[in-house]
Amino acid sequence: MKLSTYNFLTSMAIKGVKVGYPLKLTINKKEVVETEFNATFVERLLPKLDWSAIYSAAQVVELTDDIPAVQPENIAENEQLMQKLHHLLFEIDVLDGQLECPETGRVFPITDGIPNMLLNEDEV
Amino acid sequence: METPYTDHLTSHEYEHVYEPAEDTFLLLDALEADLTFLDNLQPRLCLEIGSGSGVIITALAKRFSHGALCLATDINEHACNATKSTANRNATKVESIRCNLASALRTRSVDVLLFNPPYVVTSDEELHNQLFEASPESRHINMSTQRNLVSSWAGGKDGRRITDILLQQLNDILSPQGVFYLLLLRENKPDEIIDKLVSLNFKAVKYMERRIPGEYLYILKITRS
Repeated sequence: MKLSTYNFLTSMAIKGVKVGYPLKLTINKKEVVETEFNATFVERLLPKLDWSAIYSAAQVVELTDDIPAVQPENIAENEQLMQKLHHLLFEIDVLDGQLECPETGRVFPITDGIPNMLLNEDEV
Repeated sequence: METPYTDHLTSHEYEHVYEPAEDTFLLLDALEADLTFLDNLQPRLCLEIGSGSGVIITALAKRFSHGALCLATDINEHACNATKSTANRNATKVESIRCNLASALRTRSVDVLLFNPPYVVTSDEELHNQLFEASPESRHINMSTQRNLVSSWAGGKDGRRITDILLQQLNDILSPQGVFYLLLLRENKPDEIIDKLVSLNFKAVKYMERRIPGEYLYILKITRS
Protein backbone atom coordinates (compact mmCIF):
# COMPACT_ATOMS: atom_id res chain seq x y z
CA MET A 1 0.00 0.00 0.00
CA LYS A 2 1.43 3.30 -1.13
CA LEU A 3 1.06 6.29 1.14
CA SER A 4 -0.92 8.02 -1.61
CA THR A 5 -3.52 5.24 -1.25
CA TYR A 6 -3.41 5.63 2.53
CA ASN A 7 -4.51 9.22 2.01
CA PHE A 8 -7.85 8.04 0.60
CA LEU A 9 -8.71 5.41 3.22
CA THR A 10 -11.29 5.99 5.93
CA SER A 11 -13.14 3.95 8.54
CA MET A 12 -16.26 6.09 8.09
CA ALA A 13 -18.26 3.00 7.10
CA ILE A 14 -18.23 1.73 10.69
CA LYS A 15 -21.58 2.29 12.37
CA GLY A 16 -21.45 5.39 14.59
CA VAL A 17 -18.12 6.69 13.27
CA LYS A 18 -18.32 10.37 12.32
CA VAL A 19 -15.10 11.11 10.43
CA GLY A 20 -12.87 8.02 10.67
CA TYR A 21 -9.92 9.95 9.30
CA PRO A 22 -6.98 9.99 9.16
CA LEU A 23 -6.45 6.38 10.14
CA LYS A 24 -3.59 5.65 12.51
CA LEU A 25 -0.89 3.92 10.47
CA THR A 26 1.62 1.45 11.86
CA ILE A 27 4.31 0.02 9.57
CA ASN A 28 6.01 -3.28 10.35
CA LYS A 29 7.60 -3.80 6.95
CA LYS A 30 7.99 -1.52 3.98
CA GLU A 31 9.98 -1.26 0.81
CA VAL A 32 11.13 1.74 -1.13
CA VAL A 33 10.71 1.45 -4.87
CA GLU A 34 12.25 4.23 -6.89
CA THR A 35 9.88 5.58 -9.51
CA GLU A 36 10.30 8.34 -12.05
CA PHE A 37 9.54 11.79 -10.64
CA ASN A 38 6.62 13.41 -12.42
CA ALA A 39 6.04 16.90 -11.05
CA THR A 40 2.80 17.35 -12.99
CA PHE A 41 1.29 14.20 -11.50
CA VAL A 42 2.12 15.26 -7.94
CA GLU A 43 0.79 18.75 -8.59
CA ARG A 44 -2.45 17.49 -10.10
CA LEU A 45 -3.07 14.96 -7.35
CA LEU A 46 -2.40 17.41 -4.50
CA PRO A 47 -5.84 19.09 -4.50
CA LYS A 48 -7.36 15.63 -3.96
CA LEU A 49 -5.04 14.80 -1.08
CA ASP A 50 -5.60 15.69 2.55
CA TRP A 51 -2.53 17.39 4.00
CA SER A 52 -3.22 16.18 7.55
CA ALA A 53 -2.91 12.58 6.35
CA ILE A 54 0.17 13.43 4.25
CA TYR A 55 1.74 14.80 7.41
CA SER A 56 0.68 11.86 9.58
CA ALA A 57 2.22 9.51 6.98
CA ALA A 58 5.41 11.60 7.06
CA GLN A 59 5.48 11.27 10.85
CA VAL A 60 5.23 7.49 10.66
CA VAL A 61 8.10 7.18 8.17
CA GLU A 62 10.09 9.92 9.97
CA LEU A 63 10.18 12.36 7.10
CA THR A 64 8.88 15.38 9.01
CA ASP A 65 12.13 17.22 8.29
CA ASP A 66 11.07 17.14 4.65
CA ILE A 67 7.31 17.59 4.91
CA PRO A 68 5.90 20.60 6.80
CA ALA A 69 2.90 20.22 9.14
CA VAL A 70 0.91 22.82 7.25
CA GLN A 71 0.59 22.88 3.47
CA PRO A 72 2.76 25.72 2.14
CA GLU A 73 1.51 28.21 -0.44
CA ASN A 74 2.61 27.88 -4.07
CA ILE A 75 3.81 24.38 -3.45
CA ALA A 76 4.23 23.57 -7.15
CA GLU A 77 7.05 26.14 -7.40
CA ASN A 78 9.02 24.30 -4.73
CA GLU A 79 10.68 21.55 -6.76
CA GLN A 80 12.51 20.13 -3.77
CA LEU A 81 9.32 19.70 -1.75
CA MET A 82 7.55 18.22 -4.77
CA GLN A 83 10.29 15.59 -5.04
CA LYS A 84 9.96 14.79 -1.35
CA LEU A 85 6.20 14.45 -1.73
CA HIS A 86 6.76 12.16 -4.70
CA HIS A 87 9.02 9.99 -2.56
CA LEU A 88 6.59 9.91 0.36
CA LEU A 89 3.46 9.26 -1.69
CA PHE A 90 4.65 6.98 -4.48
CA GLU A 91 7.92 5.32 -3.52
CA ILE A 92 7.18 3.98 -0.05
CA ASP A 93 5.19 0.75 -0.21
CA VAL A 94 3.79 -0.59 3.07
CA LEU A 95 3.93 -4.38 2.93
CA ASP A 96 2.94 -5.25 6.46
CA GLY A 97 1.31 -3.19 9.17
CA GLN A 98 -2.04 -1.90 10.28
CA LEU A 99 -4.52 0.94 10.10
CA GLU A 100 -6.55 1.92 13.12
CA CYS A 101 -9.85 3.78 13.27
CA PRO A 102 -9.22 7.02 15.22
CA GLU A 103 -12.64 6.85 16.88
CA THR A 104 -13.27 3.18 17.68
CA GLY A 105 -9.77 1.69 17.68
CA ARG A 106 -10.87 -0.96 15.19
CA VAL A 107 -7.73 -2.37 13.57
CA PHE A 108 -7.43 -3.13 9.86
CA PRO A 109 -4.42 -5.30 9.02
CA ILE A 110 -2.18 -4.67 6.01
CA THR A 111 -0.86 -7.98 4.66
CA ASP A 112 1.27 -8.43 1.53
CA GLY A 113 0.68 -4.77 0.78
CA ILE A 114 -3.11 -5.07 0.84
CA PRO A 115 -5.16 -3.33 3.54
CA ASN A 116 -8.12 -5.39 4.70
CA MET A 117 -10.91 -2.91 5.34
CA LEU A 118 -13.73 -5.48 5.29
CA LEU A 119 -16.22 -4.99 8.08
CA ASN A 120 -18.39 -7.61 9.70
CA GLU A 121 -22.14 -7.38 9.22
CA ASP A 122 -22.65 -6.19 12.80
CA GLU A 123 -20.20 -3.30 12.39
CA VAL A 124 -22.05 -1.46 9.62
CA MET B 1 -5.53 0.32 -25.23
CA GLU B 2 -3.52 -2.84 -24.83
CA THR B 3 -5.26 -5.99 -23.63
CA PRO B 4 -3.32 -7.01 -20.53
CA TYR B 5 -1.40 -10.25 -20.34
CA THR B 6 -3.08 -12.85 -18.15
CA ASP B 7 -0.73 -15.78 -18.71
CA HIS B 8 0.45 -15.57 -15.09
CA LEU B 9 -3.03 -16.60 -13.87
CA THR B 10 -3.66 -20.33 -13.79
CA SER B 11 -6.62 -22.61 -13.23
CA HIS B 12 -5.65 -22.48 -9.57
CA GLU B 13 -6.46 -18.74 -9.40
CA TYR B 14 -9.61 -19.24 -11.43
CA GLU B 15 -10.93 -21.57 -8.74
CA HIS B 16 -11.25 -18.45 -6.59
CA VAL B 17 -11.45 -15.55 -9.03
CA TYR B 18 -13.76 -14.81 -11.96
CA GLU B 19 -11.98 -15.55 -15.23
CA PRO B 20 -12.04 -12.76 -17.83
CA ALA B 21 -14.86 -13.40 -20.31
CA GLU B 22 -17.01 -11.59 -22.88
CA ASP B 23 -18.37 -9.15 -20.28
CA THR B 24 -14.82 -8.20 -19.28
CA PHE B 25 -13.88 -7.56 -22.90
CA LEU B 26 -16.99 -5.46 -23.55
CA LEU B 27 -16.02 -3.15 -20.70
CA LEU B 28 -12.48 -2.93 -22.09
CA ASP B 29 -13.84 -2.14 -25.55
CA ALA B 30 -16.08 0.60 -24.14
CA LEU B 31 -13.13 2.24 -22.37
CA GLU B 32 -11.07 2.05 -25.52
CA ALA B 33 -13.87 3.61 -27.56
CA ASP B 34 -14.16 6.45 -25.04
CA LEU B 35 -10.45 7.26 -24.72
CA THR B 36 -10.82 10.77 -26.15
CA PHE B 37 -13.35 11.57 -23.44
CA LEU B 38 -11.13 10.01 -20.78
CA ASP B 39 -8.05 11.88 -22.03
CA ASN B 40 -9.94 15.15 -21.78
CA LEU B 41 -11.20 14.25 -18.32
CA GLN B 42 -7.59 13.83 -17.14
CA PRO B 43 -8.52 11.46 -14.32
CA ARG B 44 -6.47 11.57 -11.14
CA LEU B 45 -8.15 8.72 -9.28
CA CYS B 46 -9.53 5.61 -11.00
CA LEU B 47 -11.30 2.84 -9.14
CA GLU B 48 -12.58 -0.55 -10.18
CA ILE B 49 -15.02 -2.14 -7.76
CA GLY B 50 -14.90 -5.94 -7.67
CA SER B 51 -11.77 -6.10 -9.78
CA GLY B 52 -11.50 -9.92 -9.83
CA SER B 53 -8.55 -10.86 -12.04
CA GLY B 54 -7.69 -7.17 -12.38
CA VAL B 55 -7.65 -7.15 -16.17
CA ILE B 56 -9.84 -4.07 -16.61
CA ILE B 57 -8.19 -1.76 -14.08
CA THR B 58 -4.78 -2.92 -15.32
CA ALA B 59 -5.66 -1.90 -18.87
CA LEU B 60 -6.76 1.50 -17.59
CA ALA B 61 -3.63 1.83 -15.46
CA LYS B 62 -1.39 1.04 -18.46
CA ARG B 63 -2.98 3.98 -20.24
CA PHE B 64 -3.38 6.48 -17.38
CA SER B 65 -1.00 5.59 -14.56
CA HIS B 66 1.40 8.38 -15.54
CA GLY B 67 -1.26 10.80 -14.32
CA ALA B 68 -3.70 8.85 -12.20
CA LEU B 69 -3.72 6.72 -9.11
CA CYS B 70 -5.45 3.42 -9.94
CA LEU B 71 -7.19 1.56 -7.12
CA ALA B 72 -9.12 -1.71 -7.04
CA THR B 73 -11.42 -3.12 -4.41
CA ASP B 74 -12.75 -6.62 -3.95
CA ILE B 75 -14.21 -8.51 -0.99
CA ASN B 76 -12.29 -11.61 -2.09
CA GLU B 77 -8.66 -11.73 -0.97
CA HIS B 78 -7.70 -13.95 -3.91
CA ALA B 79 -9.05 -11.27 -6.24
CA CYS B 80 -7.07 -8.56 -4.43
CA ASN B 81 -3.91 -10.63 -4.90
CA ALA B 82 -4.72 -11.49 -8.52
CA THR B 83 -5.33 -7.83 -9.34
CA LYS B 84 -1.95 -6.80 -7.97
CA SER B 85 -0.18 -9.59 -9.80
CA THR B 86 -1.94 -8.76 -13.07
CA ALA B 87 -0.78 -5.15 -12.75
CA ASN B 88 2.78 -6.33 -12.01
CA ARG B 89 2.74 -8.76 -14.95
CA ASN B 90 1.84 -5.83 -17.18
CA ALA B 91 4.48 -3.51 -15.75
CA THR B 92 2.01 -1.09 -14.22
CA LYS B 93 0.75 -0.29 -10.75
CA VAL B 94 -2.68 -0.93 -9.27
CA GLU B 95 -3.32 -0.70 -5.54
CA SER B 96 -5.62 -3.37 -4.10
CA ILE B 97 -7.88 -2.69 -1.14
CA ARG B 98 -10.00 -5.41 0.37
CA CYS B 99 -13.39 -3.90 1.15
CA ASN B 100 -17.05 -3.84 0.25
CA LEU B 101 -17.75 -1.66 -2.84
CA ALA B 102 -16.06 1.72 -2.18
CA SER B 103 -16.81 1.80 1.54
CA ALA B 104 -13.18 2.37 2.64
CA LEU B 105 -12.60 5.42 0.44
CA ARG B 106 -13.06 9.10 1.18
CA THR B 107 -16.19 10.55 -0.37
CA ARG B 108 -16.43 12.14 -3.80
CA SER B 109 -12.90 11.22 -4.83
CA VAL B 110 -13.27 8.93 -7.82
CA ASP B 111 -12.88 10.36 -11.34
CA VAL B 112 -13.30 7.09 -13.26
CA LEU B 113 -15.36 4.33 -11.68
CA LEU B 114 -15.69 0.85 -13.21
CA PHE B 115 -17.99 -1.94 -12.11
CA ASN B 116 -18.73 -5.29 -13.68
CA PRO B 117 -21.20 -6.35 -10.99
CA PRO B 118 -22.52 -9.75 -9.99
CA TYR B 119 -25.37 -9.47 -12.49
CA VAL B 120 -26.77 -12.98 -12.86
CA VAL B 121 -30.43 -13.24 -11.88
CA THR B 122 -30.81 -15.58 -8.90
CA SER B 123 -33.49 -15.75 -6.26
CA ASP B 124 -32.72 -13.50 -3.29
CA GLU B 125 -32.92 -16.56 -1.13
CA GLU B 126 -30.32 -18.27 -3.28
CA LEU B 127 -28.06 -15.22 -3.15
CA HIS B 128 -28.38 -14.98 0.60
CA ASN B 129 -27.97 -18.70 1.18
CA GLN B 130 -24.93 -18.88 -1.00
CA LEU B 131 -23.36 -15.75 0.40
CA PHE B 132 -24.08 -16.28 4.05
CA GLU B 133 -25.02 -19.84 4.82
CA ALA B 134 -23.30 -22.10 2.34
CA SER B 135 -20.43 -22.69 4.68
CA PRO B 136 -20.19 -22.32 8.43
CA GLU B 137 -17.31 -19.85 8.30
CA SER B 138 -18.80 -17.73 5.56
CA ARG B 139 -19.92 -14.95 7.89
CA HIS B 140 -16.32 -14.38 8.79
CA ILE B 141 -13.37 -13.10 6.89
CA ASN B 142 -12.17 -16.49 5.68
CA MET B 143 -14.59 -17.10 2.89
CA SER B 144 -14.94 -20.42 1.23
CA THR B 145 -13.92 -20.89 -2.38
CA GLN B 146 -17.56 -21.34 -3.24
CA ARG B 147 -18.51 -18.02 -1.72
CA ASN B 148 -15.68 -16.24 -3.52
CA LEU B 149 -16.92 -17.30 -6.90
CA VAL B 150 -20.62 -17.01 -6.12
CA SER B 151 -20.10 -13.41 -4.98
CA SER B 152 -18.60 -12.65 -8.39
CA TRP B 153 -21.80 -13.45 -10.26
CA ALA B 154 -24.90 -13.99 -8.08
CA GLY B 155 -27.05 -10.86 -8.28
CA GLY B 156 -30.31 -11.78 -6.54
CA LYS B 157 -33.63 -10.39 -7.83
CA ASP B 158 -33.20 -9.01 -11.37
CA GLY B 159 -29.45 -9.51 -10.86
CA ARG B 160 -29.54 -6.08 -9.28
CA ARG B 161 -29.10 -6.40 -5.53
CA ILE B 162 -25.46 -5.28 -5.41
CA THR B 163 -25.80 -2.79 -8.26
CA ASP B 164 -28.77 -1.10 -6.55
CA ILE B 165 -26.77 -0.68 -3.34
CA LEU B 166 -23.95 0.94 -5.30
CA LEU B 167 -26.31 3.31 -7.12
CA GLN B 168 -27.55 4.63 -3.78
CA GLN B 169 -23.93 5.37 -2.80
CA LEU B 170 -22.86 6.80 -6.16
CA ASN B 171 -23.31 10.44 -5.16
CA ASP B 172 -20.79 9.89 -2.35
CA ILE B 173 -18.29 8.04 -4.54
CA LEU B 174 -17.96 10.02 -7.78
CA SER B 175 -15.98 13.25 -7.88
CA PRO B 176 -17.83 16.28 -9.29
CA GLN B 177 -16.53 15.56 -12.82
CA GLY B 178 -16.48 11.77 -12.36
CA VAL B 179 -17.69 9.15 -14.84
CA PHE B 180 -18.96 5.65 -14.14
CA TYR B 181 -18.97 2.75 -16.58
CA LEU B 182 -21.37 0.01 -15.47
CA LEU B 183 -21.85 -3.35 -17.13
CA LEU B 184 -25.40 -4.71 -17.24
CA LEU B 185 -27.37 -7.60 -18.61
CA ARG B 186 -30.72 -7.08 -20.36
CA GLU B 187 -32.39 -8.92 -17.44
CA ASN B 188 -31.07 -6.22 -15.10
CA LYS B 189 -33.57 -3.85 -16.80
CA PRO B 190 -31.15 -1.13 -17.93
CA ASP B 191 -33.93 1.33 -18.78
CA GLU B 192 -35.24 1.10 -15.24
CA ILE B 193 -31.70 1.73 -13.96
CA ILE B 194 -31.35 4.77 -16.23
CA ASP B 195 -34.63 6.20 -14.84
CA LYS B 196 -33.42 5.57 -11.33
CA LEU B 197 -30.11 7.32 -12.06
CA VAL B 198 -31.95 10.31 -13.49
CA SER B 199 -33.98 10.55 -10.27
CA LEU B 200 -30.66 10.54 -8.39
CA ASN B 201 -29.44 13.51 -10.52
CA PHE B 202 -27.25 11.53 -12.86
CA LYS B 203 -27.21 11.26 -16.61
CA ALA B 204 -26.93 7.76 -18.07
CA VAL B 205 -26.67 6.48 -21.63
CA LYS B 206 -26.30 3.04 -23.15
CA TYR B 207 -22.77 3.59 -24.39
CA MET B 208 -22.21 0.15 -25.90
CA GLU B 209 -24.14 -3.09 -26.25
CA ARG B 210 -23.32 -6.58 -27.46
CA ARG B 211 -25.04 -9.90 -27.97
CA ILE B 212 -23.03 -12.85 -26.77
CA PRO B 213 -24.14 -16.48 -26.59
CA GLY B 214 -26.96 -16.62 -24.05
CA GLU B 215 -26.68 -13.01 -22.88
CA TYR B 216 -27.25 -9.45 -24.08
CA LEU B 217 -24.87 -6.99 -22.45
CA TYR B 218 -24.82 -3.22 -22.06
CA ILE B 219 -22.34 -0.66 -20.84
CA LEU B 220 -23.99 2.33 -19.21
CA LYS B 221 -21.96 5.54 -19.12
CA ILE B 222 -23.01 7.65 -16.17
CA THR B 223 -22.10 11.22 -15.26
CA ARG B 224 -23.57 13.89 -13.01
CA SER B 225 -26.33 15.84 -14.72
